Amino acid sequence: MNFWFAVIRQTGRNLRQTWSSQFMTFLTVSLSVLIFAFFALIYTNMIGAGDRLTNDVSLIVYLEDEPGPAMQEQLRRKILNFDEVEELRFVSRQEAYDRFAEQLGKDSDVLHDMPTDFLPPSIEIVPLKNLRGYSKLKLFSEYLGSLPGTEKVQYGQDWIERFYHFIRLLTIVVLLSGTLLILTAIFMVAYTIRLTILGRQDELELLKLVGATNSYIQTPFLIEGILQGLMGSIIGLVALYGLFQWISNRFTGPGILNFFQFDFFPPYILAAIIVASISLCAFGSYTSIRKFLQI
Amino acid sequence: MEMDAQETVEPQELSGNNMIEMIKVSRSYPPDIQALSDISFSVDTGEMFFLIGRSGAGKTTLLKLICNMEMPTNGLIEVAGYNINTLKGKDLALLRQRIGVAYQDFKLLNDRTVAENIAISMEVSYKKPRAIKQRVRDLLDQLQLTSKHDLLTGELSRGEQQRVALARSVANSPRLILVDEPTGNLDSDTTARVMDLLTRSNKAGATIVIATHDESIYKNTNNRIMELRDGQIHSLTRGGTR
Repeated sequence: MNFWFAVIRQTGRNLRQTWSSQFMTFLTVSLSVLIFAFFALIYTNMIGAGDRLTNDVSLIVYLEDEPGPAMQEQLRRKILNFDEVEELRFVSRQEAYDRFAEQLGKDSDVLHDMPTDFLPPSIEIVPLKNLRGYSKLKLFSEYLGSLPGTEKVQYGQDWIERFYHFIRLLTIVVLLSGTLLILTAIFMVAYTIRLTILGRQDELELLKLVGATNSYIQTPFLIEGILQGLMGSIIGLVALYGLFQWISNRFTGPGILNFFQFDFFPPYILAAIIVASISLCAFGSYTSIRKFLQI
Repeated sequence: MEMDAQETVEPQELSGNNMIEMIKVSRSYPPDIQALSDISFSVDTGEMFFLIGRSGAGKTTLLKLICNMEMPTNGLIEVAGYNINTLKGKDLALLRQRIGVAYQDFKLLNDRTVAENIAISMEVSYKKPRAIKQRVRDLLDQLQLTSKHDLLTGELSRGEQQRVALARSVANSPRLILVDEPTGNLDSDTTARVMDLLTRSNKAGATIVIATHDESIYKNTNNRIMELRDGQIHSLTRGGTR
């Protein structure tokens, strides 16, 4: 019989003897992983949606007057002074009118009595990809608004602003829930191991007297923690995947989920969650061993 | 220390290859109970040594000091050449694997079977499962406990529990076996079997220390007998000279 065979058999005994508290801990770890991973999944998808949202963003700078070629060149230089842009295009009053008429289609006859210059001239700017974060867009729009002759800058700021506030709130929720659930999982594992140790004082005492080494006595408890982390995280993630599939199937078709393009975690994130769960549960187990298993 | 000059063992008999060496060992408990005072003696490797005295004389305390269950208040204790009170971690564990102890209170795990209780001392030194099973069966056979193999030790009588504790102490073929009152709950037949088992272990090379107040097991011996009274050595004699 070698060390690992003896240790695994001892771990099996521990699990059998305290199966009810082990099961409760396993459920707690699974639930903690499920809740945390659920928020994290929403968060990562929201971040992805935010990126896609700002990918389509363009800024429209409405001007007071139609700029002449020299003025256009001056404005272009000032804008490029702030940063490179992907596209910059001047739209005259006439072009704006024509576009509007085209958009109205067969209802364009409502414009017959209107002057063709009632729409303001504008500059359409598609920023570079690296400028598409919310704060950068805001800075850019403030800069554009400060240019002489500009009346108003539009880029759907209300919608983007609300969306980013929501992301910020979600970040806080993910961090808070993550911290609380991590503490819960560590505490539960530590508590279960503590119960096991206290419930088996006689045996542990005897093991010491017959010459069991520290690692022979301690390793099974550490393995218990690792198993709790491994099994708990796997079951939690499987449950999350089931939930994800249910939501995806339930809300297929044109709707908000299509817009958000709801994706599951890539394999490396799944592996990271499992490793983190194992580490935390092993840590919980280790603290109990240190505190209650005096050898 | 009261020692009869005529019965005193010659100094050369105490020297040599010692399994146990105790020099001026004392053990006291708060507030002011002196369990052992100024104990000095040694036990040779391969010797069978009897420790006698009335209840409360200090026999159990002495055994606990030898197996490092307790620490002495003063003095030096060496087992197999090692100062047992300074050993730690793996070294202490390895030494303990070579010491078998049958405790007076048995220290059996009542929710485990007889076989599992005996096997535990072999499991910690990673003996092969097949060898463990065979050894357990042999010991149960020798102690007339074969039918109890799968019973929980909590279901056994005191005498049976005592034999299981003894079987566990010799199971791992230790170099030193400490036995505390091995025959307290046994009839004469079973006492003979127990002594036979211990004698066989001794012949196989194990050093054996038996703490007892049962005169029947040491009255015909020619081994050394040390008597404790009130925590002090009263006499150290060779059996048959008493």
